[in-house]
Amino acid sequence: MNWHPAKTGTFPETGEQMKQHLAGSAHGGAIAMLGVVKEFGHFRAVDDVTLKIEPNEFFTLLGPSGCGKTTLLRMIAGFEMPTNGRLLLDESDISGLLPNQRPINTVFQNYALFPHMSVAENIGFGLKMLGKPKAEVDRTVGEMLSLVRLNGRGNNPVTQLSGGQQQRVALARALAPRPKVLLLDEPLSALDLKLRKSMQIELKRLQAETGITFVFVTHDQEEALTMSDRIAVMSEGKVRQVGSPWDIYDHPAERFVADFIGETNFLEADVVSLGGGLARVRLSSGSEIAATFPSDFLPQGKVTVVVRPEHAQVVPRGDSTAALKGTIKDIVYLGTDTHFHIHLDDGTLFIVRQQNAKSGPCGFAKGEAVGIGVNDDVAQILRD
Amino acid sequence: MARKFSIKRLPGFTMIAMFAFFVLYLPIATLVVYAFNDGMSIAIWEGVSLRWFESAWNNSQVIEASIRSLQIAAFAAVIATVAATMAALATTRSANYRGRTFKYAFINMPLLVPEIVTAVALLILFARIKVWTGYSGLGYLIVAHSAFCIPFAYLPIRARLESMDLSLERAAADLYATPFKAFRYVTLPLLWPGILAGFMLAFVISLDDVVITEFVKSGGQDTLPTYMLGQLRRVVTPEMNAISTAFLVLSLAIVTIFFFLSRSNEKST
Amino acid sequence: MTLSAAEAGQARQKKDIRDRWLLSAPALLLIFFAGVGPLLIVVVYSFLAPGNYGDVKWEFSTEGWFNVLFSRDIFDDTISLADAHFTIFWRSIKLALATTILCLIFGFPTAYFIATRPANNRSLWLFLITIPFWTNMLIRTFAIQEVIRSEGIINSALIKLGIIAAPIQMMFTDFAILLGMTYVFLPLMVLPLYASLEKLDFRLVEAAYDLYASRFNVLMRVIVPIVKPGLIAGSILVFIPALSSYVVPRVLGGGKNLMIGNLIELQFGQGRNWPLGAALSVTLVIIVLFAMLYYVRNAEKSGGGHG
Repeated sequence: MNWHPAKTGTFPETGEQMKQHLAGSAHGGAIAMLGVVKEFGHFRAVDDVTLKIEPNEFFTLLGPSGCGKTTLLRMIAGFEMPTNGRLLLDESDISGLLPNQRPINTVFQNYALFPHMSVAENIGFGLKMLGKPKAEVDRTVGEMLSLVRLNGRGNNPVTQLSGGQQQRVALARALAPRPKVLLLDEPLSALDLKLRKSMQIELKRLQAETGITFVFVTHDQEEALTMSDRIAVMSEGKVRQVGSPWDIYDHPAERFVADFIGETNFLEADVVSLGGGLARVRLSSGSEIAATFPSDFLPQGKVTVVVRPEHAQVVPRGDSTAALKGTIKDIVYLGTDTHFHIHLDDGTLFIVRQQNAKSGPCGFAKGEAVGIGVNDDVAQILRD
Repeated sequence: MARKFSIKRLPGFTMIAMFAFFVLYLPIATLVVYAFNDGMSIAIWEGVSLRWFESAWNNSQVIEASIRSLQIAAFAAVIATVAATMAALATTRSANYRGRTFKYAFINMPLLVPEIVTAVALLILFARIKVWTGYSGLGYLIVAHSAFCIPFAYLPIRARLESMDLSLERAAADLYATPFKAFRYVTLPLLWPGILAGFMLAFVISLDDVVITEFVKSGGQDTLPTYMLGQLRRVVTPEMNAISTAFLVLSLAIVTIFFFLSRSNEKST
Repeated sequence: MTLSAAEAGQARQKKDIRDRWLLSAPALLLIFFAGVGPLLIVVVYSFLAPGNYGDVKWEFSTEGWFNVLFSRDIFDDTISLADAHFTIFWRSIKLALATTILCLIFGFPTAYFIATRPANNRSLWLFLITIPFWTNMLIRTFAIQEVIRSEGIINSALIKLGIIAAPIQMMFTDFAILLGMTYVFLPLMVLPLYASLEKLDFRLVEAAYDLYASRFNVLMRVIVPIVKPGLIAGSILVFIPALSSYVVPRVLGGGKNLMIGNLIELQFGQGRNWPLGAALSVTLVIIVLFAMLYYVRNAEKSGGGHG
């Protein structure tokens, strides 16, 4: 990787070295962000982010709007310069490079297809800019068209395509120069639900086939959980937690993460003992349960414990598995599931989601005093 | 009688609008019709003839003034459009930066200053420069026209740029286009209708100008409008109608092209 | 090295802003040289003494400004208010206001009419408004002259119909100027009004009718307040050029019915009093600035356009 970062304020040509680099196989594609900060005036959009994205990974930046995920993505693309910190691609510093000098391509949220060009011209644009011979451009465009299943559409004007087709042209255009990293900025948000589902599968397939690192930005937790190898959850410019979908969902480290992804019950508890990577905590009801906790954190004293609604069951009040006790305030029938809204005896609300394995009523009534059973090892202690 | 209720209808409005359109076109129509009058008068109809067009065509003053008008308009429109395009590129597609509001206000300033004031101001300035340099050619008129045409050329170009998706240029940069290539292959082709529209606006505005030209021109530099203004003081023959009609047709052609350009502007963005 | 990105970013931003100044330089310089800058010379000239054959003498004098408001008797040096100037200023303001009102009366329904056409033929109506707008103003003034002259079509028609015996003198009157200016400036009122009306959400009108508003109330309490920015923009766009009108009063007003524009020209022509002409010009610009200020105050957020 011996193409160098741009010298301050100058405008290096798209170098021969980089062209060769791009033409090569798509190995590599590791991104490292070291203490990246981005300020807009006094507003800190990205606040000291250090992240490593592995080669050939489907990595998702997940967070609510305004959390800094798009700004982070735009810095990787080169549309924004970090106020501070460094950005490495396969160990070389790219933070000073212009977008057109980075072997990284973007699928834009609104696709940003060039309206005055045909499908093929759009897809071939990157290669043309790199100065590839026409024959090679044409060949790659053909490959790309079949990769995104738009064979024979090359000469269509992009303005006459459906949303899903435009989406695929945008993908093909970004993939055609064989970038090391593909950035996707909420690319599915404009599609309807059904199309979105099929594009999710399509994206996974493309990532597997091309072996390119995908960095995907979304605010849709379900999308993130379905597609990603790893997820970074962001809020207020900071990365709150990085981990596999399973990790993030079952073992949220912070209140924000637990709250943002899925539904959660928060319980106050006291740590009784530690051992074997688990903590025993005493709940307000007096019962004790086992709970996991973040690896970089030693729980003690008063802590907050989260329990997912589907990890608990409604049981008769006197049942031996009843870790918590309360009164049913509402029963919401949802077809596949039933939600029980239960007022615990200490006043907090607890939601239990039970799958409707059998047909017919659930057997509990509104206003009934019940117990709540919590499965083993499903409770998680939060860091804060 | 069934009463049709439409929430958009306001009583009398359609009538007034129709009347307004009628009044707008009646004088122009009269003017055009009498251009074809065979008689000397613009009041008494004496049959169809092209004699006044012929007489205008043979009037060397009219032809010279027309050619001068077109020359000035062509030069001024090109200069104004180039300057306006550059200025529009410099004042759009970025976060607000210091000086941008100033530039915007300054470029639009000629629209706010009464023409007659600009005219006397230029009269004073150019009178001095004529004395200093001894040059008294069409340059003064071209410079003056270029200046007041800039805001008109700037308007559609800026509008076009602002409605243009910023992410298109970003996409080009992302796909390895250097800033110049991104401009050449993405910005310019998309901006082109706006530039053409701006050019045509500037051309028509320059062609139509009376006041500033009247004050800035040196002897023997009549443009068609100032020639006509001079003639209006005398007894008017249908030759004026013929000249006006020809002028009208030219303006109409330009406006029609402009109209379709701005429509395609709307469609493609 | 750790700050390279930040430095590169800053340098790039600086370069970008410098490039942007360079790019806008030709337009700014041209406008400064031949549009806005010379106004400063006019201000300077308004404080100089008049030359014998036009132009100025380079000595400080407030005579030009004095002459805007007062006149000095040639023989006995007595000072009196410059009646002629007041008459002309008053006529200009009166005519400009009347023109604005007439343009509103005809322009609003016209703009409303266009805005409520089905979308596919709306642009055709708009086109019909634009044609006169882009037709040479001199030609349109000439066309009006043809209509209202003693031998023009109105008088001929009225005589033929036996309504009048002798032609009505319409040329060279304030009425002629008013008619001409309304005719010439009407599109300037219709276009911004149309731009506002086009964006009007007719669900609001439906809501008003639903809440028992009469047609009049719908117009005055819903439509007019919402399109107020367009109304103000249109009024200013008509008022300013009407106030400083030169061609229309020169052609239709004859030699007698002058407006400010003609008065200014007179000082640079036959009057040979350049400082007075300069002072009158500055006065006109000040009036226009006040009108603009009023517009900016009232339409700050509307983003109303020009031209």
